[in-house]
Amino acid sequence: MNKSIPQDIASTISERRKNYTQKAIRGQFGETMVALATSHPNFLVLTSDLMYATGIDSFGALHPERLINLGIAEQNMTGVAAGLALCGKLPIVCGYAAFTTLRAVEQAKLDAAYNNVKVIFTAQSAGLSYGVGGPTHQTYEDIAIMRAIPNMIVLVPSDAIEMDSCLHAALEIETSSPIYIRLGRGPEYNFNSSYVPFQIGKSTQLRDGKDISILANGSMVFEAILASDFLAGCGIGARVLNLHTVKPIDRDAVREAAIGVEAMLVIEEHSVIGGLGGAVLECLAEGPAIRVRRIGIEDCFPPIGPTRELRMSLGLSAENLVVNAFDLLGQTIEKHPAKIN
Amino acid sequence: MDLNIRQPLSLDDLKDMARINRLDVARMFMAAGNGHFGSCYSCTEIITVLYFALMRIDRANPDWMDRDRFVMAKGHAAPTLYSALIRRGFIPEKWMDEYETAVGARLMTHPSRRYQSGVDTSQGSLGHGLSIGVGMALAAKLDKRDYNVYVLMGDGETNEGSVWEAAAAASKFRLQNLVGIIDLNRLSVDGELENVMPMEPMVDKWRAFGWDVVRVDGHSLPALLKVLAPQRNVGASAPRMIVADTIKGKGVSFMENVRSWHADLISSKQYSDLVSELGGVGV
Repeated sequence: MNKSIPQDIASTISERRKNYTQKAIRGQFGETMVALATSHPNFLVLTSDLMYATGIDSFGALHPERLINLGIAEQNMTGVAAGLALCGKLPIVCGYAAFTTLRAVEQAKLDAAYNNVKVIFTAQSAGLSYGVGGPTHQTYEDIAIMRAIPNMIVLVPSDAIEMDSCLHAALEIETSSPIYIRLGRGPEYNFNSSYVPFQIGKSTQLRDGKDISILANGSMVFEAILASDFLAGCGIGARVLNLHTVKPIDRDAVREAAIGVEAMLVIEEHSVIGGLGGAVLECLAEGPAIRVRRIGIEDCFPPIGPTRELRMSLGLSAENLVVNAFDLLGQTIEKHPAKIN
Repeated sequence: MDLNIRQPLSLDDLKDMARINRLDVARMFMAAGNGHFGSCYSCTEIITVLYFALMRIDRANPDWMDRDRFVMAKGHAAPTLYSALIRRGFIPEKWMDEYETAVGARLMTHPSRRYQSGVDTSQGSLGHGLSIGVGMALAAKLDKRDYNVYVLMGDGETNEGSVWEAAAAASKFRLQNLVGIIDLNRLSVDGELENVMPMEPMVDKWRAFGWDVVRVDGHSLPALLKVLAPQRNVGASAPRMIVADTIKGKGVSFMENVRSWHADLISSKQYSDLVSELGGVGV
């Protein structure tokens, strides 16, 4: 629910954001791939004329024999990836989320998932991270699509450091499932300062709290942390769970997050249809009973604009989480004016 | 004859294998009550030559890394492949009578590597196979292995744009170990391909994409033996495309070139006519 934000909340949180450094996802992706090339000599990288655009040009310069450029042809790229995997290779597809999922979804389903082969799809520019690109490049239905495919693992790391861990985990897990990794594009805030472990299928609790639970993934984890820290100053305990694995979802953790709190917020940079919010509600359908509110992109083509401003305008922010938390807990912001600063 | 094979077979033996393949296909479709007769019978000789004369495969080691690969891109002709795999000893003959008959039947309309030993990739949705074949052939080159990859497509299937994405890629990567085959039977589900969506001149199209193209009679065993022979460690630098002129429903007079036999119900009378025309000994 996108609510109007009181000025004092907006200015306080906006100030706090400045305390965090930022790192571009694409830049980190390129650095990670170069590092992984040495530690993991077996994987191949496939791209669809997006070598520079996905930041793998350094990898390509160092390991030209391991970079396969298929041109602007995502369906073929996905089929080729599956064919390579069927013959024992480990392909990492580097593309944009919009085309990796929507353009080539049948190949992802049949050639990779149905064939039981491990293909790693790294999908950049997801969500609103290419906000100015408009609906052709904004991607807010990819999680819904990919998690509906049987045998598909779906991961959404939250910042540059967690992405690095996520890529390591994806390479190292022994599985016959393809892995979809949803990534942003430009700078994101670093709430992790050093290496974080990444266990596929296991969520991590980043803040504790007894009043409300906030479940998030991707870029929204940082917003959830900001919101929790702000709420703590108001005497409200907001638990934060990073659900970086949407599938297989950490059911136990989701159910546990519903116990001992009054309400739950789920926030994601994705449509409210079929994404993390949907996955969480599926987990909770059989209990425990709790009031859940989802914050995401409503069923619409969002406006076109710079990522940060676009997220803010759609309520994908710590500010909106705070206001919704107050609302769900039946509290008024006016009760806490002293705490806000 | 021992159908679980000794190679190579004589031309007469291959001819008989093609006949047995058609009977097997009919036996499966009779179990189900219907099937893609036309689509299967146009590629019988192609499959027979590959599986009984040319491909390097081993039923005792179906995942052998150096085996030749086969991609049934026109997945709805799967029963032709099932018969070959059965007669080569990869899957049991008794599965034929379960074809499509129950939940969990191990032979179904389209091939699946989940359930069938010897199937190199699941297929069924048209336009996927050539890309998978490109990936397989690329893997062979990267690993310096000498296996060949065969991809059998329908002529209607080449309507799919993804086929041409793969055509460009195979040419770019100089996949001389990749052999594409077009089963050009001129009929797709809705009628003459020339009316549904014309693809001629087929040979010129593939040549323009950088392939070595040969056009042959797709029912001539000697011609197929020659053009489909694997090339190993040769200096060629282009993928090969075999454009095989075929007859939909070939071998059964009342099915040949009849659109509706793309996939149709079969009566007991028609089945017994078919068996007798193919010199069946009963199944």
